[in-house]
Amino acid sequence: MIGLASFRRTLVLFLLLSFGHVLLISAQVQSGSGMPLMQAAAFGLFASVQHLTSGVADFTRSLWSNYVALQGVAAENAALEKRVVELEGRVQAQSAIVSQTQELESLLRLQQSLVAPTLAARVIAGDPAPGAFMITIDQGSANGVEPDMAVIGHFGVVGRVFGRPTAHAAQVQLLIGRQAAAAAFTERSEATGVVQGGAGSPTFEMNFVDGLRNVQVGERVLTSGLDGIYPRGFLIGTVERAVRGSGGYSDVRIQPVVDFSRIDVVLVVLARPDRVTDVVRQP
Amino acid sequence: MNIARVLLVVAVGLVMQMALARYAVGGRWAFDLVLVAVVYAGLAWGPIAGMWAGTAGGLIQDALSGDVIGVGGLAKTIAGLGAGVAGSQFVVSQASSRVATVVVVTVGHRLLLVSLLAIVDQRWSDISWTAMLVEIGVNGLAGLIAFKATELAPGAVRQSRQLRRSSLSKRRW
Repeated sequence: MIGLASFRRTLVLFLLLSFGHVLLISAQVQSGSGMPLMQAAAFGLFASVQHLTSGVADFTRSLWSNYVALQGVAAENAALEKRVVELEGRVQAQSAIVSQTQELESLLRLQQSLVAPTLAARVIAGDPAPGAFMITIDQGSANGVEPDMAVIGHFGVVGRVFGRPTAHAAQVQLLIGRQAAAAAFTERSEATGVVQGGAGSPTFEMNFVDGLRNVQVGERVLTSGLDGIYPRGFLIGTVERAVRGSGGYSDVRIQPVVDFSRIDVVLVVLARPDRVTDVVRQP
Repeated sequence: MNIARVLLVVAVGLVMQMALARYAVGGRWAFDLVLVAVVYAGLAWGPIAGMWAGTAGGLIQDALSGDVIGVGGLAKTIAGLGAGVAGSQFVVSQASSRVATVVVVTVGHRLLLVSLLAIVDQRWSDISWTAMLVEIGVNGLAGLIAFKATELAPGAVRQSRQLRRSSLSKRRW
């Protein structure tokens, strides 16, 4: 008898919970939007905990790397010094090009190109669920981070700020995510399209590419700025495969330049495309 | 069932998930420690606890991952029910049988999640079998560590208390 009562109680609770979930899902599917309040509340609740856990993890890691594992530091130091000299040379060359461009722009009375201001941020948490492809960074609205701002890495586009950030933390939707996309163009053939994440697949897909454009393997793919999120000119990747498909579109696959499995520090672009006309491209 | 204990297990799973996933974002290492926490709650305290743990953990994960809220919640509620029923109907006192439960629930949960997302999105998304195998392995390992730790923890505490008492009694005043 007790077993039957327990079974009934379990069944009733299961049906109630399932019904509640189905109602919640259908409400969002019908409205076409998520539940911003619930998302903000959950993120606000866990952001401070993430700061704490990330602090503990970083302390342990720094204890190990700064005091215990110091083998090979001298060789690494020498290599880094060499790299710094190389980069300083490149910076000087770039500065010369920029000053020349500015002179030309002023001569031609063109609107001067702005270099987008950026804010460095550390990754403090990863995917809340496998396959979500979201990270949490340690900069928020107090530092000027706003929803939908572009986030870049050492080499190219990482993703965008997702949802409303808290004062000292923000979530970033990675470009490899299931629902992520960016308007892009190929550098040489100037074919435009939409780059979409492959939900963990190592390559991106570039959709809606005009089949008449001669897209070449190895071409660089950059953001076009047409989506209103990513400013024009940020590197996304290189064309890995380009095949003319049916229906007037080409089937283009892109190898990302960012290694999404090793993201530690990112840069938040503190300006929207309407405030930035172009960015300085990588050499 | 103590609701506070269930929520604590889920919170620990969630914090661990986000802290460790930081080192595996976008890589080949997929794991779901919240699911392990849900299975733990189901096996330890029965199907009702499993369902509550699944609902709480799934809904928070959905809210944090920007997906449709309720999809993960429903999948984890069913996973919690499954783990709870397995715990109450079969003998799962051995660590190996508990790990086997984690493995079976992981596979069931992933398939359920893909099916629910297909209904919501109106299209099937590709299943990465490699990612699923990795998830099974890591979840199973995490489950083994969690179950072993809770088995050994009370004994270790008791032993340390006894050691402290004996050292006090042996002390010569």
